[in-house]
Formats: sequence, C-alpha cells, structure tokens
Amino acid sequence: MPSPSAVVEQGRILLGDEAARRAGIVSGTGVAAARMLAPAITLLARNPSREAAALQALACWAGSLTPRISLTPDTLLLEIGSCLRLFGGVENLVAAAKEGVQAQGFTVELAAAPTPMGAQWLAWTRTAARCLDASTMRQHLETLPIAVLPAKASISLSRFGLSTLADVRRLPSAALARRIGRETLQLMARAFGELPDLRADFVFPEQFALPLQLPAAVENAAALLFAARRLTSALAGWLTARQAGVREFTLRLLHREAETPLVLQFADLTADGGRFERVLRERLESLLLDAPVESLRLEAATVTALPGRSHALFNDATTEQDAIGALLERLSARLGEKQVYRVAVHDDHRPECATRHVTLLEKSTPEKRTAPPRPLWLLDTPEALAEVDGRPYRHGHLKLLAGPERIESGWWDGGEAAGDLRRDYFIALSTNACWLWIYRECRAPGGWFLQGYFS
Amino acid sequence: MKTAVSLGEILARPDVWCADRLASAAIPALASGFALLDAELPGGGWPRGTLTEILADGAGLGECSLVMPALGRMREDGRWSLLVTPPHGINGPAWASWGIDLARLAVVSPTRQRDALWAAEHALSSGALGTVLCWSRHIDAAQVRRLQVAVAGSNTLAFLFRPVRARTESSAAALRLLLSAGSRGTLAVNLLKRRGPPCTRTLYLDVPRPLKWREDHESTLARTPSAVPPARSQRPVALA
Repeated sequence: MPSPSAVVEQGRILLGDEAARRAGIVSGTGVAAARMLAPAITLLARNPSREAAALQALACWAGSLTPRISLTPDTLLLEIGSCLRLFGGVENLVAAAKEGVQAQGFTVELAAAPTPMGAQWLAWTRTAARCLDASTMRQHLETLPIAVLPAKASISLSRFGLSTLADVRRLPSAALARRIGRETLQLMARAFGELPDLRADFVFPEQFALPLQLPAAVENAAALLFAARRLTSALAGWLTARQAGVREFTLRLLHREAETPLVLQFADLTADGGRFERVLRERLESLLLDAPVESLRLEAATVTALPGRSHALFNDATTEQDAIGALLERLSARLGEKQVYRVAVHDDHRPECATRHVTLLEKSTPEKRTAPPRPLWLLDTPEALAEVDGRPYRHGHLKLLAGPERIESGWWDGGEAAGDLRRDYFIALSTNACWLWIYRECRAPGGWFLQGYFS
Repeated sequence: MKTAVSLGEILARPDVWCADRLASAAIPALASGFALLDAELPGGGWPRGTLTEILADGAGLGECSLVMPALGRMREDGRWSLLVTPPHGINGPAWASWGIDLARLAVVSPTRQRDALWAAEHALSSGALGTVLCWSRHIDAAQVRRLQVAVAGSNTLAFLFRPVRARTESSAAALRLLLSAGSRGTLAVNLLKRRGPPCTRTLYLDVPRPLKWREDHESTLARTPSAVPPARSQRPVALA
C-alpha cells in the first residue's frame, strides 16, 4: 500500500495512516484539504464489505485466545474473564492479542472492562484502560466524553453544557430520559453494568474458506507471505476454537484469469500458526509467479479433531514428536517432497521392488524381518562387472563366498517395475575387503552385475 | 574470606578434563554395541551432542554395521533417525532386519550439497532427532564446524561419513574414527581423535557380516589385513 493513504467517507477523511497523520490530516479533514496537505496521498473509498471480512478473519483468529467472541459492526469483543488464568493475567493476554493483531498488519486499540459496552467505549476513546472490577471501570467511564453516545443524544447533551459521562450521570434520570430518549440511558446503564448486556456469540464458520483481497496486485511471491499471514493466523485461531487440527490446507493465489493452488502438508495434525507460516515461507520463497496475484483464498477441507493434551510439566515425548513433525515438514517444504521421504518394506522377492519410498504422511505397514542376508545399500542401477578368467572382476577378482541364490519373479510385470527377473545372487568379497552383493544374469546376454553393499 | 582453590578441586570439576585421561561425557553416551570400542571411547560409548566423524573409503567395508546397533537402540526410545544424502539406495528389508524402526527413519537426499548441509545443520540444531547420519564427500573444515556447533549440547547422536583422504584435514568433530579392513573379517578402527590420550592401537571389531568367516576367504584379499594406512607419529591430537 503506498503511503500516505487514507480512507474517505462522504467527502471527508475517515482514517489516515501514520504518514497522513504526520502531514496534518486527521479524521474529518475534507478531501480537498487533504490533497493540499499531502499531494501524493492515495484516497480509498470506504469499503464496508472488506471491513466486515477483515473483522470476520480477526474473529476467527481470536479463537486462539478465547472461545467466546462477539462481533459488532466496528468492534471485536472477546470474553476474557474465563481465560485470564490460562494466560497468566490480563497484561499477558493483552500483549498476546496485540502482538497477534499487529503481526497481521492491523493497528489495534485495546481496552478491557467488565461490561462489553464499557470495553467498547474505552477502546473507542483510546484510553487503553484495563479495568478488572466494576469500580475501576466506573471511574474510567465517567471521564469519557459524551461523544461516545449516539450522535443525536450527544449533540443535545452538549447543548446542556455537559462534556463527560459523569456530568450526565449527575442529572436525574427520569427527566433526562424525556429529553434525550430512554435508549441512550439504557445504553449507559449497560455500560456501567447496571443493566445486563447480552451479546450474540460469534459463530465460527463450519468450513474454513477465507478470501483476502490484496490492496494491489503482487508480483513477488515472497511479498505474499505478509498478506497470507492474516489467513494462516485466522485458520490457527479457528482450529484452536474448534479443538481441531489440519494435515493440509490449500492456499489459492488468484490471478486475473487463472489461479495457482499451493497445497501445504504437515507431518501430523496441527493447529500451530507458527508452523503454518514456516512451511508457507519455504514454499513461497521457491515459487515463481506466472502472473500478478490479486487475491488469496485459504481453504482447509479436512479438519480433524485434535486429541486433547495437557501441558506437560517437563519436556516430554509429545513435544519432541511435534518438533520432528515441524522439522520434517520444513525440510520437505524447502527441498521438495520427493527429496524427503521414508522407506517402507514391500512384499516382493525382487530386490528393486522390496523397498518403497513413502511420503512422510503415509502410514507404514509393520515390517517383517527377512531370513536371508541382504545388503544395506542397493545401487539404483546395477553396475555391470567385467568377467576375467570366468570370474567376476572389480579392482581384482571377486571371491564368491555364498550362493547362488536364485531369484526368479515378476513374470506378471510387463516391465513396469523391475520386470521379469531371473538372477543368481552371490555374496562376494573384493580384494579390498568389501562385501558385495552381486548377481549373474541368467537371461541372455548374461553377465555379472553388482547390486548392493553389505556395509 | 577468600579461600585458595586447590588445583585438585579445579581438576575435579566436571567441565575440566586432563588430556591424559578419557573425558567423561556430560550427556550419557550410548553404548556402541562393541565392548572393545566402548572401552576406548570417552563416556563409554558414542557421544551425544557432538559430532563423530567416520572416515572410510567406498562401501561394503562394514562402516554402517558399526553404527547399526546404536541406530537399533533408537527403537526402544521411540526416537527418530535421519539419513542425509546416503551414498546408495536404502534396502528396506535389510535395515528392518537390523532392528531399525523404519517408521521413524527419514531420509533427505537433495541433489545439491548446499541443501544437504542446510538440512543436516537444521536437523542437528532442532535437537528432536535421536540420530543423524550424514554422508558427504566434499565438506570443508568450516562446514564441519558448523555441524559441530549445531549439534553441541543436544541429545542427538551425529555421525558424519567422509572419505579417508579427509584424515589429514583438521576437523571440529570431537571423535574421529578411521576404518579399514582387519584380519579374519573384522573391521579395523583407528581412533584419530578423541577427548583423551591418543589411542595408538588399532581395534579389531567383530562387526556382523552376512556369513561366517572361513579361513579360505583370506586368500582373496590382495594385501595383508593390516590394511591400516601407516600410522602417523602419534602426537596428541588437537584438543577440541
């Protein structure tokens, strides 16, 4: 986003960024005055649907802090009373919330109070108050200007010569209700905790699919990371609130006409935003974009309930397991899935087919122990050996210590895997004391081959 | 009042070791499975949290059999092992028959050396793995030092396999072993460097072979089995 920039509503500046504020543009400045103060300013029309989408994403993210969230058109309310102990106090929780929101590129005004209305008003007026009991909140609220009340009521109250909420509360309420309306007084009573204030809980979406419109087309994949962080944080919060995890999710990079889907996979179920980000970073760093990206969309199709886990007193095996998962997925994100694998045993007599590479995610079958000795290493393609005096030769004559062991299998395989084999295998010792696994090809044209090492 | 500290007290500190004695390991070592070798290793086994260099040329000498018992022990602890750029393809059935838990064995084999070292360094510093085995033909002293720094203090067994020509290079690894073929199918091990007095004798280890040694096998070998490269004058090696 170019700077300075500001959002305009009805010909007046609603909100400017830091550069605009330095130029002297405050909310309420006219568009013409703003252009004069900062000629390079980018003015954007207010877009309520994008605001709502951003708040929705933030509400999902906030699931990582508390399960009870409520959305108003302009404020996000989190019920934190029940999770103060988990975070170790209100300051820690506020710090976590602030850090989380700022990491997603938003600025935030935070306030805490025992009533939702009170917290909302304290946040609007940027008091940054943290009130944990009713009396502290009352003190803070009474200093607030009457501008927090609905516009009509605040205008008439200012005509009476009142400026703060304390002034309003000193007046007899019955008479005041007749003049400014009962609703405003009820609003104040809710804020001060004298009337119950029930809010509808934010309902987390059943399926996670969150779009993000980018302010400008992005041509550099690495620059997408910052924007995508909003989506991954929202996913992490949403998963935490549902006590679920994902093994994979898809980030779609939408171009003007096409799209690039990025499927990110994880070694085990996870709801860890930091892990999402690390894997995403490795993928984006190695990605070349064909066309500029205009918007992003994050989809998590299969969500699985995460087994409950209590925090361990000491480091235990589960944290090590998590660390391994994180390590392996980081390696495969950077090096490519083909280059990071596990091996699994496959029931086949042909040596080439007895081992399979499986991805980290695949379940492996329990292996069986084989009776005949087999080499630890197998050559990708058997190495042809010379034959000197009727004996195989490799830096000197090879001595055949054991064999032959006939392996004849694969007639059904039309050359797709290893094909139909007929070989006589020997354990051989070379002149430099290396233990080799060699075979004589029984089919024409025959010959000796080195296939493995007993290392 | 300041009390004088005797030399004996200083020497008794766990982080001080005399070069004429074997160092004790801060993190318990893992028995290698070869009593002869354990007796010569500081801490009585493969050291954890430090790099062990194994110098051997070619495959088939028994270089893997040397570390297999330790690798098999990972199954009991439920810990993972990682192979970084193994020299050849892994034969699953053989590894399984050594008791290796294939479900907890991961392999990384990037084509570029730079990526391999990045993976190895990353794996070592994560501290999450039980064993990391790394094969590298061309690795310089600075890169070895990076690996040693990455593994330092962790609970991981780290093996680096290098060709024999690296024996003359300096190395940050705390333990360096030179392998060659011994007589009667044994594996000859020379300790090039360890935390302790220099080990001048060659250890002949009975590593498991695919079949029992018979006397007539000897005739195959080109040279007499003391195939150990001529020992350099054994000066105390640089103390890491």
